[in-house]
Parts: sequence; structure tokens; C-alpha cells
Amino acid sequence: MSLYFANALPDLVDDALAGFALAHADTVRWDERDGYLRALHPAPTRRVGLVSGGGSGHEPLHLGYVGTGMLDAACPGRVFASPHNRQVLAAARSVAREDGVLLLVKNYTGDRINFGIAAERLAHEGIACGRVLIDDDVASQSAESATGRRGTGAAVLVEKILGAAADDGRGLAELEDLGAALVARSRSLAVASASHTSPVTGEPAFTLPPGTLEYGVGIHGERAARTLSTRSLRDLAEEMVASLAEALDLSGDSRLIVLVNGLGGVTRLELYAVLREVALLLDKRGATTVRTLVGDFVTALDMRGFSVTLLDADDEVLRLYDAPAAAPAWPARPGRTTR
Amino acid sequence: MSDTTTRPEQTGPLAFADFTHRWVHGFAATATATETELTALDQQVGDGDFGMNLVAGLQATLRLLSPPTGDAALPTGRAVTPAGPAAGTPPPGRAAPDASPAAPLAAAATAFLDEVGGTSGPLFGLLFQELADAVREGGAGSPTAALAAGVRGGLAAIQRVGDAEVGDKTLVDALDPAARALAAATTDDPAQALGEAAGAAWRGVHDTTRSTARRGRASYLGDRAAGVPDPGAVGIALLFTAAGGPVTSLAPLLH
Repeated sequence: MSLYFANALPDLVDDALAGFALAHADTVRWDERDGYLRALHPAPTRRVGLVSGGGSGHEPLHLGYVGTGMLDAACPGRVFASPHNRQVLAAARSVAREDGVLLLVKNYTGDRINFGIAAERLAHEGIACGRVLIDDDVASQSAESATGRRGTGAAVLVEKILGAAADDGRGLAELEDLGAALVARSRSLAVASASHTSPVTGEPAFTLPPGTLEYGVGIHGERAARTLSTRSLRDLAEEMVASLAEALDLSGDSRLIVLVNGLGGVTRLELYAVLREVALLLDKRGATTVRTLVGDFVTALDMRGFSVTLLDADDEVLRLYDAPAAAPAWPARPGRTTR
Repeated sequence: MSDTTTRPEQTGPLAFADFTHRWVHGFAATATATETELTALDQQVGDGDFGMNLVAGLQATLRLLSPPTGDAALPTGRAVTPAGPAAGTPPPGRAAPDASPAAPLAAAATAFLDEVGGTSGPLFGLLFQELADAVREGGAGSPTAALAAGVRGGLAAIQRVGDAEVGDKTLVDALDPAARALAAATTDDPAQALGEAAGAAWRGVHDTTRSTARRGRASYLGDRAAGVPDPGAVGIALLFTAAGGPVTSLAPLLH
């Protein structure tokens, strides 16, 4: 028995997309036949269309970031499953500009293959196509695995910053390079005190022994590599910030965009407390928190957990980040610590 | 591969078009005949949908090749016969809008890329897309050279998309040796050249039986997938083997 509120589980994604399109009819259009969501008012200055997508269950990613100043289109798959290559192809065809289209792909095998097949087909049709691979999760960094780090919270920041750069009229190669640089300067880490509820069984995807938490979870209900004993938020944040600072090789003068992201089942009360601890710990290291995002941006259904993403930014990246955007899930007033 | 085509000597685009039509129909008949065995293989190392996806892709291909024409002379329900036409049966060329050598390969490309789920199916679509392009561009010359260029292009596209190398226990393990065999083939007879590619592909399949997956679905199983050939690699070997006529059973080819 499912605990989810749905007419029928297989219809949940389609029903939600129809509702989303209704809620934001002034901003986006849902193409039900071809399976993509499209921005209605992209800047006329864009020379490259931006397309992302991935499995559903991570809302508001990616549909909430379709809009003016961010994505031109997003392709949703079923829950935790990649979209089909023909969805990506149809979306890319419809938003490609004079300098082609850029695909923003989170690093999962299914997404890589389906976006990759679409890229081959676009090239075959003579549409220039680039790719930014988002792989920011430090917990999945492993020498033995050929699959590499997972893509998580950095997707939101990359979509925002590249959107502003595309509005500036930058070309495909320039955007591809900027995207790769942004990913290289972003790292994330996630923890959970309870798994998401499986839509199919209504049971937790995994159960944790009392007094433990999972350190380094993904966004598809996969177990983490490490199980830790429950500890104070301060001690937990200290471990997370240490891992992220090491991965980013943070220096004393680093200026950071900090995303404290709920995974779907954690309170704002907790998330703001996380932000405070993270900012204090960064301050101790001499790094400065210059921009903040706190809330549910990339979820894993109703997982009781959060992730922290740090992006080491320079002036140009901050200028692009601060440019106005009108996408349904981008905050009207994103957090700034200084004027 | 035994020589099943003792037909009068024919050359030129018409003979090549006849060949590619029989090849694709033969592959469709092969997929239908071996679906159960492919499913059993895939259930051991994947999610069990490979045989079903292969059959679905080829049935969609045959539908694209024989569109309903509204011609009163054609009996209804003729479009897809599960067993497929016997090898050597001329394709229903009059009804098809395009009887060029590239047409059946282009139809397979569209069918596999647009209508098949999973990951292996659309990757077959990329191979067919490159084959169709190469045959369209080079079909008037040596058919073997055109097929070799198409398979080489398909292998490159599949590797760009999936990042798999030989030895990762994926369909690349069969496609890479097949591409090499075709490039080295000295015959102009496409059936004979693809027969040589088939031999090389089956040797690659047997290598996957012994290896551990690093890519694709089977990579989640590690050593538990050892002893089972990769279903995608088997599908590639069947594609080349079907150029010599439909395959009716997988078992003799896996030993």
C-alpha cells in the first residue's frame, strides 16, 4: 500500500506536471506529447538554448528552474529514472538558438546515456550541441568506480549562473567552459536520519538502527558508504564542512555561495540552524559566506535529510548569480549576507 | 558462417538494397525466435527487458518499412508476421516508398531511437543510424566498405555515449571486433563480409562470459555476473549472423 496521495502511481508524474504547468501558466508550457517543459519568455539575447532534466522525485529540480534567466527546457523522467532520449531531442530542437544548445546533465549512467544519444542525434541533424556534466557529490568519489561522483545540489547553482551567462549572449563553447569551471568549484555532501518512503511499497527504502545517521547519501534512496552515531548538529556540520573544504581546497580568501538544501522531509527550523553552523565553521577557516540559499531545492521524495553545497565564486560568477531570474522555484529574494 | 546464398551473381545498388532488406527482416525473425533465450540471459545480469526491447524495436522497424498504404489489393493485417519472411523472400518493395539500400537501416534507426526504452535498444539505434548514413553515402561503391564505415561510425558513437571500452562486459565487446573484421574484409560480397564480422563478434561474446562488468546494469553485480555473456553483446552478434539468414536458436551459438 502506498502512503502517497495519487490517483494511480504511474500517473503521478504526469498529473504533477499538468498541475505545475497550470500553476505557472504565465512562465512555462508543458508539452505533454513530447515530454518537456518549456520557458515561455526566454531572453531574446540568448544564442544558446539551455536544456536539463532527469528523474522525477527531486522537485523542484529541474522543472522549477525553467523560466526567464535559467533553463529554456527541462525533460522529466519517471520517478528516479532518466528521461528518454527522444524527450531530450524534442526539447533541444525546440529551444536551440543560432549557436545551438547546451545540455546540463547530472552524472548518472542513465542520464548520461540518454542525453548522450540525444546529442548524437542533434549532431546528426546539424544542431550544435554541448554538454556540462554535473558531478559534485564528494561522498561518491571513489578510485575503484568508473561511474564517478553523483550530481546533486550544484545543479541549481549551475543552472542559475549559466542562465545569466546565456542571457549575456555568450556562445556555446564559452558556456560549456564556464559550466565545467563551475562544477569544478562546487562540492556537495548529504546526510539523512531516515530514508524516503517508497511510493510502491509505502515502506522506508532503508531503515537505520536507532541512534545512527547515514553520512554521504545520494538522492535516490541509496545507502551511504558510512553510518555514524547520532551527534550534535555542530559536530556533524564540522565533519561535513571539513570534507567539503578539503575537496574544494578552500583558501583563506574564498568567497562562497552556500546552499543548505532539504531532501524533502526535514524542517526549515533545522535547515536554518545548519546554515548558521556552516557559516560559523567557514568563518573559522577564514572563508566568507557571501550568498545563501536555504530550503528544498533538490529533494529525494520525502527523505529526512539535508545536503550542503559550496560554490567557490569569483566576482564574475557572483555578478551572474545575482542577475535577476524569473523561474518558479528560484527565490524572489535570494539570500545575501552583505549589501 | 556457411554460404546460404547461392543466388545468381548480382551487383549494384538493386542487389545491395535487396540484401539490406533481407538482412533487417532476417534480424527481426532472429529476435522473435530467440526472445525467450535473450530474456533468460538478461534476467541473470540485467533487468530482463533486452529481448522484449529488441523484438519491439524490430517490429516497429517492419511497420515503418511497410506502412499501411490503403491499397485495396493488400490484405489487412499483413504488416507484421511474427515469424518474418523467409530469407530470400523479396521485400514488399512495391508498397514501400523507399527501396534504397539505406531505407531498412534508416527505419531501424528511427524505430530503435524513438520507440525503444532501456539503454541497449537506443544504442542499437545509433548503430543503425550510422549504418544508414554510410550506406546512403557509399552504397554505390563497395557495399563492404560502406558497411565497414557504418559499423566503425556506430562503434564510435556508442563509445562516445556510453564511455565503455573493450573488456567492460558491454555490447562494445562484440561490436569492436566486428568493426575490425569488417575493416579487414577483402570481399565485396556484403553477406560474406558480415559473416566474418559475426565470427569476430561471437568471439567477443565469449570473452564477456568470462569478464566482470564495469559499465552498464551488470556492473552493479560485480563477480556475480561472471559466467553469463552480456545480452547486448549477444544481440550485436545476432545482428551480424542474421545477414546470412535468420537464427532460430541461441543455444548452439553460445557454446
